[in-house]
Amino acid sequence: MSTTVTTPLATGATSATGSALAASSKFKAFATTFSITGPVAYCLTVYMNWPVFTYFPATGRFYWGLEGVQPSRGPNMLWYGWTLTTILIAAALGVIAMMLPERVSRKLPLFLVWLFPILSIPFVVYSLMFWWRLAMQE
Amino acid sequence: MTSPISTSNVFWTIWLFVHLILALGLLGALTHQAMAVALPVRQPAGGIVSRFRAVSAPSYATAVCVLWVLTFLVGSFIYTSYRINIRIPLEQGHYFKTGGFFDFKEHVATLGLVLLPAYWFFWKNAQNPEYDNARKGVTLVLAVMCWFLFIVGHVLNNTRGFGA
Repeated sequence: MSTTVTTPLATGATSATGSALAASSKFKAFATTFSITGPVAYCLTVYMNWPVFTYFPATGRFYWGLEGVQPSRGPNMLWYGWTLTTILIAAALGVIAMMLPERVSRKLPLFLVWLFPILSIPFVVYSLMFWWRLAMQE
Repeated sequence: MTSPISTSNVFWTIWLFVHLILALGLLGALTHQAMAVALPVRQPAGGIVSRFRAVSAPSYATAVCVLWVLTFLVGSFIYTSYRINIRIPLEQGHYFKTGGFFDFKEHVATLGLVLLPAYWFFWKNAQNPEYDNARKGVTLVLAVMCWFLFIVGHVLNNTRGFGA
């Protein structure tokens, strides 16, 4: 007699989630497209330096788009702007995917959801080269 | 003259503590889930390790998403003070690797954030075998990211906290 019966608890083989959103094919197209394109959009945004806004923490001021460092304003912060740009791009692509026929959106390979963030890591490390160069000079 | 509360070390340390508590909850939930998908229990749980793996993983999905977003928002708020009060002294002290790893952490936090919609969808359809591999992959990636974020944040706080 086999003892390798997978328990419902361990696999999470619950019957239904009770959420209409989770059962929606439109939401599936949006969610998977958003998550697949998100890491790509983030790398592109960082590479092209496309923040929606720039924040200056010393003065508490926001500026649209990219604003360089100025002595009177103190250091600038681009990460908030990069994150918002990424969300906007990924959401726009997600909405487009929702409009596509299901037979088209179903062809999106789901393994890209976890593969793209892994592939983004080398780029992210490379984008921080100025830190690593400074550390190497020590 | 004392500084206003919003600029004091106590204020930021309290927010950092809130960030820590949220991060701990997230780390626990994601680690449970990652263990459940990577090493599913085949028999009713016996020891503590088996019980750790035998959690009802789908029930964690919404909590993980909410905790990731909350931790992200609180961390983003603290980041404004970090940029002035922590990063500049770190640079002056030539802690370049520490500064670099913090920037690495912020990138990873965003990469994790954008995975949440698909992660949530896959877990809310846990009964559908079509999503098994994607669900397992994205959960493991998020768990590794979360451990990385936690460890970097912890080391950074040890290097220079707000009270330093």
